Amino acid sequence: MKGYWKYFLNKLGWFAITFVFAFVLNFILPRLMPGDPVAAIVSRLAQGMSNATGVQAIYQQYADLFGTNRPMHEQFFIYVRNVFRGDFGFSFSQYPRPVAEVLGASIWWTIALQFPAILVGWIIGNTLGALAAYLKGGFDKVLMPVSIFVSNFPPFGMAVILLAIFGVTLKWFPIAGGYGFDLIPSFSWNFFWSVFIHYQLPFWSIVLIAIGGQAIGMRSMAIYELNADYVKFSRFMGIKDQKIIGYVFRNAMLPQITGLALSIGTMVGGALVAEIVFSYPGLGYTLMNGVMGQDYPLISAATLIITIMVLTANFIIEILYGIIDPRIKAAQSEQ
Amino acid sequence: MRNKILTLLSLLAVFAMLLSACGTPTPAAPAEPEATQPPAQPQATEPPAQPAPTEAPALKPGDPLPRTETLYFNGLQWGPVVCWNPYSSNCNNAMALAAGDNARVTMFETPYLYNMLDGKQYPLLADGDYSWNAERTELTFKIKPAAKWSDGTPVTAEDVAYTWATHVKYNTGTGAGNKDYIEDIVALDPKTVVIKAKLDANGKAVNPLIVSAFVSSNYVVQKAWTQKLEQRTGGDAAKFLADTAEDVVFSGPYGPFYADETKVVLVRNDKYWGQDPSMWGKLPAPKYLAHAIFKDNAAGFAAFKAGEVDVSQQFNANIQDLWLKEGLPVSTYLPDPPYGIGASLPTAFYNLNSHGLNLVAVRKAIAMAVDYDTIVANAMANQSATFKQVPRSLMNPTPGEQALYDHDAVKDLQWAGKDYEAAKKLLDEAGVVDTDGDGWREYEGKKLSYVATCPNGWSDWQAAIEIVAAAGKEIGIEITTNYPEWSVYQTVVTKSDAPLPAGYDIFMMWSAGAGPTMPWGRIRNLLSSEWIGQPSNWSGNWGQYKNERVDELIKAIPNETNPDKLKEMYTELVKIYLTEVPSFTLMYRPQNFHAVNESVWTNFPHQDDGTNPPVPPLNLVDGWSIAGLYNLTLVK
Amino acid sequence: MKHTLRQVFRSGKFLFGFSIFVSLVLIVLIYPLLVPDDPLRILGQGTFFPPGIYVNTYDSINTSTKYTLNLPNADVRRLESKLSQEDRLAMREWLIAAGIAESEIDIENTSSLLALWNSNYDPKKSIPGMTNARRNYFIRLNNSLKGLTMAGDLVVASKNAESGGLEDLGVVKDTDYVNISEVANVRLLLLGTDNFGRDMLTELVTATRVSLQIGFVAGLIATLIGLTLGLLAGYVGGIVDDIIMFFTNLFTVIPSFVLLILISYSLGQEQRGAFTVATVIGFTSWVWTTRAVRAQVVSLRNRDHVNLSKLSGHSIAHIIIHDILPYIASYVVMALILQISSGILAEAGLSILGLGPKTTEVPTLGLIMRWAMIYQAHIQGNWWAYLPVLVTIALITFSMNLMNTGLDQVFNPALRD
Repeated sequence: MKGYWKYFLNKLGWFAITFVFAFVLNFILPRLMPGDPVAAIVSRLAQGMSNATGVQAIYQQYADLFGTNRPMHEQFFIYVRNVFRGDFGFSFSQYPRPVAEVLGASIWWTIALQFPAILVGWIIGNTLGALAAYLKGGFDKVLMPVSIFVSNFPPFGMAVILLAIFGVTLKWFPIAGGYGFDLIPSFSWNFFWSVFIHYQLPFWSIVLIAIGGQAIGMRSMAIYELNADYVKFSRFMGIKDQKIIGYVFRNAMLPQITGLALSIGTMVGGALVAEIVFSYPGLGYTLMNGVMGQDYPLISAATLIITIMVLTANFIIEILYGIIDPRIKAAQSEQ
Repeated sequence: MRNKILTLLSLLAVFAMLLSACGTPTPAAPAEPEATQPPAQPQATEPPAQPAPTEAPALKPGDPLPRTETLYFNGLQWGPVVCWNPYSSNCNNAMALAAGDNARVTMFETPYLYNMLDGKQYPLLADGDYSWNAERTELTFKIKPAAKWSDGTPVTAEDVAYTWATHVKYNTGTGAGNKDYIEDIVALDPKTVVIKAKLDANGKAVNPLIVSAFVSSNYVVQKAWTQKLEQRTGGDAAKFLADTAEDVVFSGPYGPFYADETKVVLVRNDKYWGQDPSMWGKLPAPKYLAHAIFKDNAAGFAAFKAGEVDVSQQFNANIQDLWLKEGLPVSTYLPDPPYGIGASLPTAFYNLNSHGLNLVAVRKAIAMAVDYDTIVANAMANQSATFKQVPRSLMNPTPGEQALYDHDAVKDLQWAGKDYEAAKKLLDEAGVVDTDGDGWREYEGKKLSYVATCPNGWSDWQAAIEIVAAAGKEIGIEITTNYPEWSVYQTVVTKSDAPLPAGYDIFMMWSAGAGPTMPWGRIRNLLSSEWIGQPSNWSGNWGQYKNERVDELIKAIPNETNPDKLKEMYTELVKIYLTEVPSFTLMYRPQNFHAVNESVWTNFPHQDDGTNPPVPPLNLVDGWSIAGLYNLTLVK
Repeated sequence: MKHTLRQVFRSGKFLFGFSIFVSLVLIVLIYPLLVPDDPLRILGQGTFFPPGIYVNTYDSINTSTKYTLNLPNADVRRLESKLSQEDRLAMREWLIAAGIAESEIDIENTSSLLALWNSNYDPKKSIPGMTNARRNYFIRLNNSLKGLTMAGDLVVASKNAESGGLEDLGVVKDTDYVNISEVANVRLLLLGTDNFGRDMLTELVTATRVSLQIGFVAGLIATLIGLTLGLLAGYVGGIVDDIIMFFTNLFTVIPSFVLLILISYSLGQEQRGAFTVATVIGFTSWVWTTRAVRAQVVSLRNRDHVNLSKLSGHSIAHIIIHDILPYIASYVVMALILQISSGILAEAGLSILGLGPKTTEVPTLGLIMRWAMIYQAHIQGNWWAYLPVLVTIALITFSMNLMNTGLDQVFNPALRD
């Protein structure tokens, strides 16, 4: 057990350092982009103003307000202090809306769409992959290629095709928005049903894409494990097939679990195109607009949220990894 | 043993399906509280005592907005609403706030309404026509006795005066843009407003045209509410303009109902003063005006096609396919191309400081070589008149403006485009030839090579710029394209106090559309040298062209009242413009795109619809086009 | 080696994938030799011409030989293309609304229907409850009927340059035909045109080539980085592992998509050539290869043969090359193949967001898709403008995955059928 604690603390330490560096990068990277966001705001505000000093005064006012005229390190410390107070500042591109409000309005949509979609895609994909590796024959020859072909449509392509077929042509599902175009959010059956219906196309456009990649990975991993020496050896030793299969799939799952943790990191990006095609509310599009509008506080806060989500997911996976795969634990405690 | 595994895995699969099925509705829950709180139910939406003209029961939670009482829009609002502050130009609130030549009067109102079809201003808050004094230095109008705010108090002359004073005090765009022409706005008595024009050295108004345009392009805001806002923000200009103003008092027929990331809805104020016989005599037909927020044109178009949008203010390429191929009940203002009334002239500006572009011959040659028919057919999908139909000048295609210049006098100067031979001849004569045999022409030993540019993602403009670049190749001038992001583009192009940087040799910007000061205002924007030197120039002449005669004419026109003299002056301006070519029009664009899906509502404005005065195709919300809201009927 | 190759080509899956891939590559290489057009040349004035053979009308009229064919039902076909059953019903609807007794209207009798229509229809007449869209429909219908009632031959005339009068050049009868091979200008547009009026097929072929190049560059870069780091981290372990994993984690927590957008935006359009985009994609997508390779190596490094090699005193490089790499080779090839296809997808994704390569130089699959979507081809049913692009992308990635599965079978002999 001591070895495990050491492993745990070691991981925790690295995650803490990673977090600090990521936090700093989240702050710096957007600010390295060329262009002056305050100038963009001012040119929007000062439409029709004729005197240079007046425009300059407005510029000064906003530069002071956003703190963009201070040196970078000072800006950073102000940012840190504010973040600890839960204050992410004003969004530049949607001024005077605060960043917290902008993100709060979109993040739940992303999580609600992506989390189940990734999970379902992962489960279906791995099941298919494992079945293909184990059953071979017709299953492997027919179902696998079909699911792979479907998954090989690019994500936006799948979204566009689903939209064109089920939305525009067959009119089975609504084509735009997170809920009915004629509804106001409320706690009612009508509203939830509407949300559910609007959910379908974006959800399946993500799931269908996810299946194939997971299935291929799982199939390869399972095949790889099925042919590992320990399987042959165990068979030779007369250990029950059932028990061997259990080991095989547990080992094959390991990289797949890493994949799951990683796909949580790509969650925000993965939904972006679905968000645009279906006009679905969400973080991806908000972040994208942040980049286009050089909205530093918005980009920093959004990437910080992603950072925390990914780090947490990874940390949990790493810990589970240590428990599931004794080889790793052993390797770590050796040092 | 194999079977067991199979069972296990099938169970797993079933579990996955179940998870997907029950996993879906749950996550929807957090969506609920996300709304940017519906800005305070407007006061007096549902008056219980007084029977409302339409007896719609109040909306219960979960009920859809009644389809037959809601008019849906697209193409106006992009991104979520930020605020409701009529003093701010930064609210991103297109359903409620868009002051200008054709001011949006759903929530806030202007004294007069401009009608782009007949060029007249019709009284809204004002009572009867305005009058100038004999010297044309003071403009007087009355306020309608019936006009009321949403809190029930009357609209007074004092409100008009205080609104102006506030604009000046906080140096808003409206204040800064008009204070060189307006000395002061005062309330003579509670119902009489006098606008005093700024006078020049000779005691004449500097610009009476701008003063008279002011009354139809700026909102009147309540004095009491403005004072409340001032108190709240303590006189700090930045805070004052950044206030979200969710408690704002308004005079228009609609008020805020709901706004979040996906939509914005306005609701009719059933106590709206305009149902008084002195104005409309009734309430507008739709109870709700709703605008879903789409992420791109395609999504908005899909909703329009599905009948979830009634009025579309988007560039919908090949709109005619909707009725020709799909048989949908969709129509536009005109039944045939260009489908709408062209009002603005998207223009390619030359950077006059670029090497070679100081030569008139080079400027004119490029402009003559461009294939405008392809721009109209491909970039605009025929939603623009061609230059054969409406020869180029400084006027938009409306008959009123076209009549303002002498067509025969400039006939020889107008070009139709794709005239490579004439362009080459022009260049040869000017001595701009290919001296080193590389296929590109040189001037003073240096190859002519330009970058043509417009903002990234502005699809029809980008397509047009591509076609401009293709023209260069035909006449031996190298033109490449580049599309910076809009946030970068706007700061570069509007900075007129310094020469434009490299990479902006030929660039696209808009020109003013239809309005009470047009075409004078458009010509001033395109050609006046007064914009040179401005740090944030949103007016025009971004290529920094200077011509003293042009400046003289621009200065003289507002004070000229003799129509013959005016025509002479405008013709001279067109002549200079087509000779000097400091910029050139690429297409005609409608003031607003205006396509309607008549599956629920009908009787939208269209050509020869019998309305008098004619209702312009401006989506029933801008200027006089709001009159169309009172004509709508349901499809049977 | 020869033996392995022979085995590889005996795998059905590999062969299938390989033939799809090779056909794509061959088309990309051969098509430009047959049709040497500039892929970005604007041919059509107008957007989204549907696929088909375009015959020049001017040349058709001016062909030297005319053929007369008396085909049965030619008149009926001509009539039906102008006046469908739906149109007849609509005409009846209008006539009834205009006050004509229903008994008088026989929609099957074309001549009486047309006569009734021509004597009664008035575009100015307002019919209560009729929408503007419907009114426009009747105006269009009425205009198209004008050609129907016209009797006799068409006269072709040209304008005399001097007098301005018309001079007859000939007549066109309704039984005249031309042989398409005798018409000077005929253009086959197999996939129609795009929104710019460019030949879609030519553009698609060029775009496929460019996208393949982008995919290969991006995939190679990503796999090389990922493999090197993964091997080092997995085998060397300890502080090296921690440091590499630290950077990997950094790149994971700032998702590559954000980096990709930030970098692409920062580069600006002028710098974004196809090759630059490929490099950027490569440098932002090595993360998962690193992690996957590391995971493989970690579970390998305590295996007996590795320990044996260690005990024999082999160098790290020797062990990695001889005892680790062969065991993960199939996995690395798979990773490379996936990286190539995801590189192609990443380019397409960036282009759709407007952050792809600049538009004027070369077409890419993503750029075609972007313009098709901007001009709403997918909503308007102009399938030729986007579906071939999507199918091409799917075919490329599908063929690669098939090849990969086939390779897998070869490298894992237990799986052979």
